[in-house]
Amino acid sequence: MVATTIEEVTSSRDGESPWAVETHGLTKRFNDNVAVDEVELLVPRGCAFGYLGPNGAGKTTLIRVLLGLTHADAGTMSLLGYPVPHRRDRALARMGAIVDEPRFHGHLTGRQNLSLLAAAREPAARTRIEASLDRVGIAHRADDKVSKYSMGMRQRLGVAACLLGDPDLLILDEPMNGLDPAGMLDMREMILSLVAEGRTVVLSSHLLDEVERTCDAVAIVDHGKVIRQGAISELLAGSAFELQIDCSTPDQAGFLLAGTEWGSGINVGPDGLRIGLVPGTDRKVVAEINRLLVEGGVSVYRLQEIHASLESWFLEVTTRLGAPQ
Amino acid sequence: MTTPTVTGAPSPRFLPAASDGMAHDHRGSWLPNGAMIATRIMELRKRRGLMIALVFVTIGIPTVFLTVRLLAHAFAPHSYGSAGGYDIFSSLVAGVMFIFGFIVAATLGCTAGSVDLTEGMFRHLVVTGRSRLALYLARIPAGLAIIVPLVAVGFTVVCAVCVFAAPTQLNYEGVTVPPGLSHSAFEAWAGDHADKVICNFNYNGPMTANVRCGNGPGGGPGIQVGPGGVVPQPTSPATNRAQAITIADQNYVDYSGHFLSPSISLMVNAGLWIELYAVIGFLVGLGLASLMGQRTVPVILLIVLEIVLTPLLSQANIPHLVNLQRGLVGLATSHLEPGGLPSVFGGMHNGQAGGGLVTESTTVAVCVIVAWIVVWTTLGAWRMVTRDA
Repeated sequence: MVATTIEEVTSSRDGESPWAVETHGLTKRFNDNVAVDEVELLVPRGCAFGYLGPNGAGKTTLIRVLLGLTHADAGTMSLLGYPVPHRRDRALARMGAIVDEPRFHGHLTGRQNLSLLAAAREPAARTRIEASLDRVGIAHRADDKVSKYSMGMRQRLGVAACLLGDPDLLILDEPMNGLDPAGMLDMREMILSLVAEGRTVVLSSHLLDEVERTCDAVAIVDHGKVIRQGAISELLAGSAFELQIDCSTPDQAGFLLAGTEWGSGINVGPDGLRIGLVPGTDRKVVAEINRLLVEGGVSVYRLQEIHASLESWFLEVTTRLGAPQ
Repeated sequence: MTTPTVTGAPSPRFLPAASDGMAHDHRGSWLPNGAMIATRIMELRKRRGLMIALVFVTIGIPTVFLTVRLLAHAFAPHSYGSAGGYDIFSSLVAGVMFIFGFIVAATLGCTAGSVDLTEGMFRHLVVTGRSRLALYLARIPAGLAIIVPLVAVGFTVVCAVCVFAAPTQLNYEGVTVPPGLSHSAFEAWAGDHADKVICNFNYNGPMTANVRCGNGPGGGPGIQVGPGGVVPQPTSPATNRAQAITIADQNYVDYSGHFLSPSISLMVNAGLWIELYAVIGFLVGLGLASLMGQRTVPVILLIVLEIVLTPLLSQANIPHLVNLQRGLVGLATSHLEPGGLPSVFGGMHNGQAGGGLVTESTTVAVCVIVAWIVVWTTLGAWRMVTRDA
């Protein structure tokens, strides 16, 4: 896959890569601490991409390296097909980003802060200030000083700042921080609408539930390394799942299935019988289990596949599960 | 790795595509555009506390001082002299505006050089893709657009009061003397007012005339006491006249430096001089604060430099460090001080070049000033370009 990617990128002109973000062997060290460790990341264009990791996994550091806020120690990267850092200015011209918590000049109003940022962009950015404020829902507070803004409003202002450049790629670092449930819903809908417009949104977060609801694909980072990446549905499909069986006599059902190939994964509890199944198990197995139970005289009321959530999968693949504190 | 597909055609964007303007976008250039400078001016101007401090020091202090003098002179003209005039002008310019202009300019420079970092805006600006050097350079015209007019307004107030409220008669060594006399005219006037000149003017030489001064025998200049304490007889008017002319000749250089009000050329030169020092203060503050990434410490350092180190090192005689002393920007700028003003850091200036200051040629002084500007601007820009945001 990587070989194909390199071939594609090499054959494409600047800005025409199929990948919004592409890194190879990207490394960033702080003395002996490797914050970003030979990261291979491929973010396809036009999707919401979650960048997940526990606290201290190196999420923000990777973003800072991508944006040129700090330098990389090794590796190559490109943004929107532009090699970085060589063409970073061209790439950033088509990007917007929030890194860490959004902070602005507190003595200026939201509109004035955006004016300051728009002045550093192309001339057309100044014409987008009102629309950006409108879109994030703080137009009515645009003339208040930012020092009077709540954390959630500053998050929205940060997104408005991202939109000034009408970006093809947005990188949002923990954009849900400080938002109330309604604000999180608004932010989620906004991200989805941005993606629907053909933009790419990279969402760095530790809020797994939000990422699962918002993103099409994710990368899991731990200890500076990307350990999994791909579409959420495919990643979860590749994980183990359980079959929950609601039946008349769970103990008898367990006895009937104990001698089968699925016997090692049987667990009888107060809520019925659960059978652990390996990733990629054919659905015909469910019908076969049902047949065995019915033929054994057990009345089966319900059979339900229980797939792992992103959260449980995340805990499964990261080293944080059961790790000493 | 699977590429997720976005179902359906993308909906229209809420704004025109950015790529439309890319052809005219020079954000990689190190030159800041007008909008960047204008918004940077706005950002600095909106700092209310800083602006109040700047206005108070550059305009408020001279205005309050002159207003008090105007009122005092208006209500008690015999007790309080004129509010304006040459003496007040020279004292205010060299004693207040020069030093405090530097300090407030340095404070503004330190603010401009550090607040983006300390307030978290720097990374937003970097993410725009604009050249970091351009972001730095935009602060220079923006800051100067604030400090230069402020200093100019304060200086204009001083000039206006010193010209329009100048004394109508020149008081030289306690004697009312017509202002602006030529050397020969001054000597002629001295000959006509021999007693006053002999009694009041400073003189270093043989005294041949004897006159009675108003403060009694043996008590004032011009009184010659004979052997045995006998007061000699007053000398002839011709002798007195000749003595007065000699004294006037010796005093003319000093007299010629006294005016009722500052001349236009002096005001122009003094104005440019304090503006130069304010510009230096701003640029040094900007560079130092950018280098250090904070405001408070650089401000304190520059105040210490201006108030403590420069006055001390400008006059101290330290043989092995004299070249280091010459490297002080305050000393270098004081050597460019217009003639007719008292020395900023002590010692005499007018008529006695350098006075008690460490000597330095004009060329060296100019080189020191240029070096300070270039070095600090370069250091600040370098740190801005290389620092983590």
